[in-house]
Amino acid sequence: MTGGKEGFSATTATIAMPTSRIRWPEEGITRVPLRVFSDPATYEREQDAVFRGPTWSFLCLDIEIPNAGDYVTTKVGHTSVIVVRKGDDSIHALVNKCVHKGSVLCYEAQGHRKRPNFVCPYHNWVYNFDGELTSVAFEKGVHGKGGMPEDFDKANFRLTKLRVDTIRGLVFGSFSDEAPALLDYLGPVMVRHIERTLYGRVKILGRYSQVMHNNWKLYVENSRDNYHPSLLHAFFSTFKINRLSAEGGTLQDEDSRHHITFTKRFTDVGDQVYDSGIIRAQRDDFGLKDPSLIDQWMEYPDQITNAIMSIFPGFVLHQIMNSLGVRQVVPLGVDRCELIWTVLGFEEDTPEQTMIRRKQSNLVGPAGYVSMEDGTIGAFVEKGIRGDLDDNAVIEMGGKDTGPMATRATETSVRGFWKFYRELMHV
Amino acid sequence: MSSITRFPELVVSAHASACIGRMMARYASAIDNGDLERWPDFFTDDCTYRILTRTDFDAGRDFGIWYCNTRGMLLDRVSSIQSVNVFEPHVYRHVLGPTEIVSIEDGVIGCETSYMVVRTGYEGEMMIFSAGRYIDAVVVDGQRALLRERTVVTDSCRYDALVALPL
Repeated sequence: MTGGKEGFSATTATIAMPTSRIRWPEEGITRVPLRVFSDPATYEREQDAVFRGPTWSFLCLDIEIPNAGDYVTTKVGHTSVIVVRKGDDSIHALVNKCVHKGSVLCYEAQGHRKRPNFVCPYHNWVYNFDGELTSVAFEKGVHGKGGMPEDFDKANFRLTKLRVDTIRGLVFGSFSDEAPALLDYLGPVMVRHIERTLYGRVKILGRYSQVMHNNWKLYVENSRDNYHPSLLHAFFSTFKINRLSAEGGTLQDEDSRHHITFTKRFTDVGDQVYDSGIIRAQRDDFGLKDPSLIDQWMEYPDQITNAIMSIFPGFVLHQIMNSLGVRQVVPLGVDRCELIWTVLGFEEDTPEQTMIRRKQSNLVGPAGYVSMEDGTIGAFVEKGIRGDLDDNAVIEMGGKDTGPMATRATETSVRGFWKFYRELMHV
Repeated sequence: MSSITRFPELVVSAHASACIGRMMARYASAIDNGDLERWPDFFTDDCTYRILTRTDFDAGRDFGIWYCNTRGMLLDRVSSIQSVNVFEPHVYRHVLGPTEIVSIEDGVIGCETSYMVVRTGYEGEMMIFSAGRYIDAVVVDGQRALLRERTVVTDSCRYDALVALPL
């Protein structure tokens, strides 16, 4: 909190929130009032209750700021945040807003500060990497005239600082002192999955973003809805690729806030050819003219070939065959959001493995064979619900409760999202 | 900023220049005017087509949202667009700038062309969908110029909704 907000304690309960028009149906989490996707007051309230509430949000990868003074700008909800590495190698996250007039301090995606400070471009107020205000231009005036009043004390003003923690090179931040430690927030099932997936020295292969014309929660629902993929995304079934799928399931943390869906492939791959560990797809088996698109190697001993993890509120880690990546959901307005994709590989990858990741990049992102529909399905829902905001969505696939299930024919994790959302929003 | 050292004195034959101009026009026309099946015909059998952001390109990365390195992969894209992927009907309109020849080496002509694409949806909404440049490696085969490589560098790092059709 900045100096202007003294009088409020930092607990979410005492922050004045816009009145929500949401009345949750009696059925509970098997129903979602459609107005929750379009009500501006709800959207405003989410900024404090969800994004600045007792949650952790993905900020960046630690390899993006390898050296002291390196910084990136990122977003938590619609708040701009600076993430910077200090001389002692610690990582700090600060709200990118000068306490004076509110200008951003950093106006680039990334950069490097030779001196350990940030200077506001507007009136040159200076902050150190801990967010403390260290200098105010003309504080004592010029030739004894002007300047700040006698009682102005820089110590009363600082940049809002986020808690920061990392796991396997993923940097997370939280605005709230009430959020549990990151690893406790994630829970052991999610922690194990992150450690398993990001087993090497991570490197960035590509980054792009996708603007979606829908409320951010519609995308987050989609990321943990494992009922839809084989139905909406026809690519795998049309090209006869999913005949290989065997068992799959849905995992959650103890509180059902986070989600993993996974698919294992048969270890017996029949007429496919093994060659230096790479499973070559044979032309005749598939409808693809060039099946090298789905050449893959068994990267993980657990034989899981597809896994999507969705961490509340808006972080996704994906493994689709050998395509790995992280996705960050950023709300842009009540009916618009941005999904920032970072496609990953490892320094240890062989050139042949990099080629496989490169080819499989065609599966993901806004032009992804498997995922392009996700960029538009939320807009389909927005369009459909516009005239019927008093109606509710029906979320009953796989029962009425939350919890892990040994199937993918379930919406258990969508219900898990709404369960935690309702707790945070008091709706 | 360009990644390529330019040689302003480079000249290609009138024939090659005419072939390249024709290829550029027909490439855009095939996509914009509903002739997507013809899109792979502008490439050699051994080819590379990719779309990546300017930021990634400048960082030396070599792929983004779209990567094909065989003609078969181009053909698979076309059939997936036409019969598999789900999206609202929309069309592109390409506007191309003049082509700048940047290298000639072993019969392969390196050239760059600015493009802008306006997307129009079925309900009539229009937007500037993408602007950027093609970085091409072209070979002239008889009367035709063919793309051995086309790298589409998009000025923006953002893509609106989805990129179903090629740029």
